[in-house]
Amino acid sequence: MANGMRRGNRLRGGYQLPLAVLFVLAVALVLIGKAQSTLFDRARARVTDWMAPELAWGHRPFDAVSSWWANVGEGYNVYQENVRLKEENARLRQWQTVAVMLDARVKRYQLLLHAVPQAALSSTLAHVIGRAKRPFLETMILDAGKANGVKPGQAVIDMRGMIGRIFLAGEHTSWVILLSDLNSRIPVTIEPGHAQAILTGDNAKAPALETLAQGVVVHPGDQVVSSGDGGILPPGLPVGTVILDNNALRVALLADPASSQDVEIVDFKNSIETPPTPTKNDLPVSAAGLPPATPPPPVTTNVQTPAPAPAAPPAIKPAVKPTPQTQAPDNPSADPDDQ
Amino acid sequence: MERVLIGNRITAAVIPVSFAILGVLIANVPVSVLGGIAPAPLLGLMPLYFWCLVRPDLMPPFWALVIGVLEDLLSGGPPGVWAVAFVATYALLDQQRDMFAGLSGFGAMMGFATAAAFSCATAYLVVTVYYWRIPPLAPVMGELAMSVIFYLPVVMFLGFVHRRFVGPMRSDF
Repeated sequence: MANGMRRGNRLRGGYQLPLAVLFVLAVALVLIGKAQSTLFDRARARVTDWMAPELAWGHRPFDAVSSWWANVGEGYNVYQENVRLKEENARLRQWQTVAVMLDARVKRYQLLLHAVPQAALSSTLAHVIGRAKRPFLETMILDAGKANGVKPGQAVIDMRGMIGRIFLAGEHTSWVILLSDLNSRIPVTIEPGHAQAILTGDNAKAPALETLAQGVVVHPGDQVVSSGDGGILPPGLPVGTVILDNNALRVALLADPASSQDVEIVDFKNSIETPPTPTKNDLPVSAAGLPPATPPPPVTTNVQTPAPAPAAPPAIKPAVKPTPQTQAPDNPSADPDDQ
Repeated sequence: MERVLIGNRITAAVIPVSFAILGVLIANVPVSVLGGIAPAPLLGLMPLYFWCLVRPDLMPPFWALVIGVLEDLLSGGPPGVWAVAFVATYALLDQQRDMFAGLSGFGAMMGFATAAAFSCATAYLVVTVYYWRIPPLAPVMGELAMSVIFYLPVVMFLGFVHRRFVGPMRSDF
């Protein structure tokens, strides 16, 4: 009888206490995740590494279908597209000539000014093996990880522009946080005008421009590139074009993460600036027309050898000849009793 | 004979949880079938909802937490969000079980829609507090809509599996 009642309770909602405990556990999980997100990230990276071959295999038919679909769509307007591309190509060739000339001029100026050379950029080519669009995360998974030198924070670009950055690197796979994702914030520069801003993703297709300085005027059509502030992302990566959406400034991204198959992970090494080695001519005494100081002899620790003579005074002729009262002895370390 | 009965009982006990885990795995396979137009449905919530109403003894609340954690782990979002959402949804279903279980036809769809909306709203609230900013509503609404659309074929399949392999409904007790 009692057993029957217990069973009835269980079936009609007798889980209040376990549910309360489980709810507390789940909330604790959120708090732990907030404080120690690496635990969860490591588990995710392991799972993705483990699933990588199956993901790559499973993604292949979808790649084929999507590229076939794209070709079908473009097949209808091949002629117009061809004419447009020829015009664009001619225009770009002119710009290429200008760019080459300007690049040579900038290099010459840098040489003249002894400017610090730009940081070295290297990149890792990776294939997209997964894409996920969830309410609170838009991501793609790449088939390159720590084994290929991939580190969290590195920029991911396709042939058109920046897609996002690595936020989780496993051994052989990595997760990319897209620029449009809710959690994405990168410093950008808007050209012309060199205005600084933060590009903030909010899961919309075009991320928003925030924290623009007061008085800065930005027009739709202006170009947005990464600013390189913070030293994590390289400066000058093309990001997109400014658009006006409901009186808010947003950026139409150049890259299309939904169709990118192969991407580059940019390894940006922000080298530490080393000052140039001073030459004799750079010393202040030399600049003043005086002979440079001779370096002191090296100190030996061998007790067998007699104590070295004290360092000779600098062979700089004083400007004022000392008087006999103030003249220093020839051997200042010599005991006065020996004289 | 007894061995067969024990085998059937084990199968019946394993199927609900296995289907929920399978649903989470399928929903979180990072392959964009629709080209990223629509988010994946909450396939893990459907077996949880179904068996929580039909045979709660085979889907105890502990599994709501486990399925939620798995969803968090595979979806890549902040940890614990779906765990809280699924446990809260289970609590709602546990409180209003008779009402939800009594629905049929279009009403059953609306029942699931209510549970899924509650789950999505909880997740949205947790994410808002987690990031301390209001996330856009459209992606969550998209996921809710996809879940409701997919519920009908999934629940028909789950009903078939239940009748074939699990056994009597809650109403048969």
